Amino acid sequence: MTDNQETQPDVSQFCPKGDVLVIGEQILGDLQPVTLELLGAGRILADKMGQPLKCLIMGHNLGDIPQRLIEYGADEVFVADSPELHVYRTLPYRRVVCDFLDSLSAPPHTCLLGSTTTGRDLAPRIAAHFETGLTADCTELDIGPYEHKSKVDPTKIGLYPNCLYAIRPSFGESLKARILGPWKNPQMATTRPGVMVPNKQDPNRQGKITPIPVNLKQEDFRLIVADTVREISKGVKLTEADVIVAGGFGLGGPEGFDLLRELAAQFENSAVAASRKVVDLGWIPYQHQVGQTGKTVRPKLYIAAGISGAIQHRVGMSKSGIIIAINKDPDSPIFKFAHHGIVGDCNQVISEMIKQLKAVKSGKGVEAVVGSH
Amino acid sequence: MSSGLNIFVLVKQVPDQGSKAGINPDGTIDRAKAKRMLNPFDRFALQAALHAKKNYGGKVSAISMGPPPAVEILLECLEHGVDDAYLLSDRRLAASDTLATAFALFKTVAHVGKPDLVFCGLQTTDGDTAQVGPQLAERMGLPQITYCEDFSIEGNKVHGRRIIEGGYQKVVSEMPLLITVANSYHPLEYKSFRGAWRVQRLARNEEELKKYIHTVDLDLVGADPERTGLKGSPTIVAATEKVGEIGGNCRMHEGQSIDHLVKDVVKETNLAQFMTV
Ligand SMILES: Cc1cc2nc3c(=O)[nH]c(=O)nc-3n(C[C@H](O)[C@H](O)[C@H](O)COP(=O)(O)OP(=O)(O)OC[C@H]3O[C@@H](n4cnc5c(N)ncnc54)[C@H](O)[C@@H]3O)c2cc1C
Ligand SMILES: Nc1ncnc2c1ncn2[C@@H]1O[C@H](COP(=O)(O)O)[C@@H](O)[C@H]1O
Repeated sequence: MTDNQETQPDVSQFCPKGDVLVIGEQILGDLQPVTLELLGAGRILADKMGQPLKCLIMGHNLGDIPQRLIEYGADEVFVADSPELHVYRTLPYRRVVCDFLDSLSAPPHTCLLGSTTTGRDLAPRIAAHFETGLTADCTELDIGPYEHKSKVDPTKIGLYPNCLYAIRPSFGESLKARILGPWKNPQMATTRPGVMVPNKQDPNRQGKITPIPVNLKQEDFRLIVADTVREISKGVKLTEADVIVAGGFGLGGPEGFDLLRELAAQFENSAVAASRKVVDLGWIPYQHQVGQTGKTVRPKLYIAAGISGAIQHRVGMSKSGIIIAINKDPDSPIFKFAHHGIVGDCNQVISEMIKQLKAVKSGKGVEAVVGSH
Repeated sequence: MSSGLNIFVLVKQVPDQGSKAGINPDGTIDRAKAKRMLNPFDRFALQAALHAKKNYGGKVSAISMGPPPAVEILLECLEHGVDDAYLLSDRRLAASDTLATAFALFKTVAHVGKPDLVFCGLQTTDGDTAQVGPQLAERMGLPQITYCEDFSIEGNKVHGRRIIEGGYQKVVSEMPLLITVANSYHPLEYKSFRGAWRVQRLARNEEELKKYIHTVDLDLVGADPERTGLKGSPTIVAATEKVGEIGGNCRMHEGQSIDHLVKDVVKETNLAQFMTV
């Protein structure tokens, strides 16, 4: 065994400092909030290394989006504009990103995308193409040193001063793992929507806007998008409600929502919400959906009736003030993050809750309707 | 397409986190002791593959990479009606990240044949990345439909519906194609009596079983070991840390009559503070 202290190889070539690149996301001209969040997180990483923050945005007729990206923290915005990029499609978008990265004299140090249905579709293809590391669904990002000691590959032993720390929950959220990919730039990560904090928009911020070429090939058109349907919310003020009463599959049918509406009516500034499953079943319109592909809400009180608490639902509501969950299954995942759990049939529990709240309002008090022991 | 579709479904065996067995105090998993199961997301992929076969004709092969006990989930797939199965098992695969896994699976797929359709689960409950499917598609040079909730096939074209933020997309793709199936797809049907019986009979005869479950290693599928395992993985887990459950401890109310359960919660959370006056 050689003494590694003496003969330590030079590992500085592995992940030298470089740009931080955010791959932005818009759907039909609607700039996605996760992109602004990534610019906030990316700005911190770039400043830590003393490097510029860049952003690549793809689409067609993007209007003021590039300028807005600058106002939210980008130093330079690269714009790929083509009718073929109007809606997201894996292969054309992949082609533009790969060509763009290939055209650079040095790869960015870090490349970030959102953990959205688009980001999680695109990022793995880019990482596989460049054979570089990608960490999914991060909740924290940082830059820091890493000392590699494993002797499996002696050429890699050494101190890496500027690694991307990609931190994410693992094993069903009970552990946090710090994942590194220091062997190669770009080091890639996707981050969960709603987690990173965007900077305040600064209309005076200056930056450069650079168009980039789009050269698609025949094989990029093997898949076509026939229709993109976005059910933009109108009328339901979920994001502004103080109290949300939400229902899931455990309600047993659309009638369950009548009861939830009656419960919601007992509260000031309240709204009714739902899980995706019951929206898909047509029990209630999409505008009421909370979660990864619905709305992110943060009410003071969230009552979840017959909702299992799947991760895609949780990410949309876990920051609520008080979470009361009603579920007949005591092992339901929702009880892992709710504050109060009631084990029982949700329709019975909700009816009882309405009864008691009405009693409170009429001044009778809960005692009047609940027999003493 | 008279000869029918060649359909692959990729499945992984994962630790059963519902069971307390093999969960270390620090939150990590002792894979030798943990209970094992078919990745729950792969049940939707399996159902999609079986639907494709039932509605459009063809053959389904299940493919998995993992240690020898993963044979259990391949038996389960056979019970549900897949035609044959392949297990890539090799010590040199230990510590593979998604890129290394996708590479090894790519080589295995090429060894098995030329698929028209490859189905993957949306994600695994242990890796939890949703990356292996698209990375495999990249290696194979295929188009992909991720987050696919439903699909139908007309001629050589697959019509699919995929989830996006705030809605959905309808897409049409040529085959060959890779699809990752969302958990809003139809749940896996119960195994048929015939399927279960067939597998029971097979399992009694090792020689006979080998005709249906093929175990392969890196040399056989021609995968460069340098590109798999720890060496072929661009990412490493540098540190793990136990975190408390989000939102802290849930105060459980159960076992009493409903009026009392509700009364306790109404009082403890002071629900009256949120009420209309
Ligand atoms: C890409 C993607 C995006 C997604 N986006 C979202 C999203 O934005 N929002 C979202 O919500 N989901 C989303 N999902 C779906 C998510 O994974 C879950 O499938 C969904 O949240 C489950 O809805 P649920 O809890 O109503 O139903 P289930 O998971 O079926 O849960 C029903 C619950 O009700 C309980 N129950 C049954 N009967 C009763 C009774 N009588 N009384 C009390 N309890 C009862 C059961 O114990 C169970 O816990 C997404 C999935 C994917 C793949
Ligand atoms: N070891 C494996 N063997 C077979 N398929 C796998 C394996 N790992 C991942 N997959 C497939 O890729 C999907 C996504 O996995 P992951 O990227 O780990 O979340 C899974 O649902 C499987 O279909």
